[in-house]
Amino acid sequence: MKRERVAAIVSRAKGLAAEIRWLLGLSLSAILLFPEGSAPADISQGAQIAATCASCHEPTGGGQAIPPIAALDEQAIVKAMLAFRASESPSLVMHAVALSLSDDELAATARYLADRANAGRQP
Amino acid sequence: MTDWTRRQIGGLIGGALLAVAAPHIVRGQGRAKIVVIGGGIGGATVARYLGDMKSIDVTLVEPNSNHVTCFFSNLYLAGLRSLASLTFGLETLAEGYGITIIRDSAVAIDPVGRAVELRGGTKLSYDRLVVAPGVAFKFGEIEGYDEAAAKIMPHAWIAGPQSELLRRQLESMEDGGVFVIAAPPNPFRCPPAPYERASLVACYFKQFKPRSKILILDAKDKFSGQELFQDAWSRHYPGMIEWLPSQFTGAIKAVDVAARSVVTEGETFRAAVANIIPAQKAGLIGEKAGLIDASGWCPVDPVTFESTLQPGIHVVGDSIIGGDMPKSAFSANSQAKACAFAIAASLTGSPQFPPHLFNSCYTFLAPDDAFTNALTFAPEGGRIKTVKMFISKVGESAEVRRRTAHHAVGWYSAFTADVFGGGS
Repeated sequence: MKRERVAAIVSRAKGLAAEIRWLLGLSLSAILLFPEGSAPADISQGAQIAATCASCHEPTGGGQAIPPIAALDEQAIVKAMLAFRASESPSLVMHAVALSLSDDELAATARYLADRANAGRQP
Repeated sequence: MTDWTRRQIGGLIGGALLAVAAPHIVRGQGRAKIVVIGGGIGGATVARYLGDMKSIDVTLVEPNSNHVTCFFSNLYLAGLRSLASLTFGLETLAEGYGITIIRDSAVAIDPVGRAVELRGGTKLSYDRLVVAPGVAFKFGEIEGYDEAAAKIMPHAWIAGPQSELLRRQLESMEDGGVFVIAAPPNPFRCPPAPYERASLVACYFKQFKPRSKILILDAKDKFSGQELFQDAWSRHYPGMIEWLPSQFTGAIKAVDVAARSVVTEGETFRAAVANIIPAQKAGLIGEKAGLIDASGWCPVDPVTFESTLQPGIHVVGDSIIGGDMPKSAFSANSQAKACAFAIAASLTGSPQFPPHLFNSCYTFLAPDDAFTNALTFAPEGGRIKTVKMFISKVGESAEVRRRTAHHAVGWYSAFTADVFGGGS
């Protein structure tokens, strides 16, 4: 019985050591991919679709004629896009964009933009 | 048990390393090297978006220190905007995105050795090459119209000194003169632009030379936004703009620079000022790199914008063909982003998403009257196909058109910041 408990503790310790080595491995690989302290490339679906937004919306959020989107939260973006999808008015450009996105793509884009806004970065 | 665990963990770590460090293995050493040839809208956008990814080493080759945007240059011709306000340096791309800018021209590309040779003698090796050469002109198609003739009868289809020349000619033209615009055959850069040019120059004439006329000699029988333009011409400039399609004139055959005349099949037209916009083809570096097919343009994969003729070389912007996207700055910007993400996905082994390709153009009919269109595209059967298309309508209220003109100015500011990283 005693021997079995010791064996279980050893086994758990080995498992822990393996997890630590695995985590160290992941950290090492991240260092190799993004050297010199640089940020990883965000090529998520949300990032890719949000790049289209930046063709018309000022990155600093200072746009007057075309409203800024940099500070909107996720729900506000989805709500606005669903309204644009439903009607050509007030913007046929946004109507076209909204129609081109599936619900999943819209959600991914809104989440990306909101995360960027929360992180204080630009879309 | 211990050995098995080690192998398993080792495999996990090795797999993780292999998966995330793939770009390093593919290219051998250092960060992935991307060379971009051409600092216009397509090239600058690719460079900016790849530069934003930090883990990629981007070099942009461009002979000019500044880029003057073709879009909005008709406003300059009409005296409504300065050329300085349309001029953008590449320094923000260097300072803000770590892109190496080389002021030089590419003279040769070695697709097998993956190297670019520059006029100054430098050789650049690359993992991926992006070529964005814009358009070149088919000078031989109109007899008598060559580069020398363009200094007297400007095309003003690449903005800059040609735009300044045409503006000077319009300013010095006597009231009562005829301004002839030779509109090119399809496909060409910015399909509504010859007709926007006629509209805005008419706006200038209306104020400063009200007896003058504009004659458009077209190589086509119909044109982009025709109904909207013709409606606006009758509202804003009645009797001032005449459009003659190819079926009436037999199209332009020759120009006589000394006599300032334009010769069609059936008639010769004298011009006080002549703006000859020649037929177009892909920019010249495309020819040298073997990127151009019999059409005169560069065929590409519609997902990655990789040349179908030269693997490892991507082409974006006005020089591509193979689908419904018009040759516009917005199209070039949209293609460039798709291309940049495709390259990044390929280098990192990340999933490739089908690109959302988009085009929207604002076109001025008068300073406070503009229309817009919006088109979405998707890859289908190896080509870029239109999915949806929307365009402003004849009969919209003056308020809607005024608002569209206001949006156009806001769009210009945001778009150029997106491409060049902000600041003029």
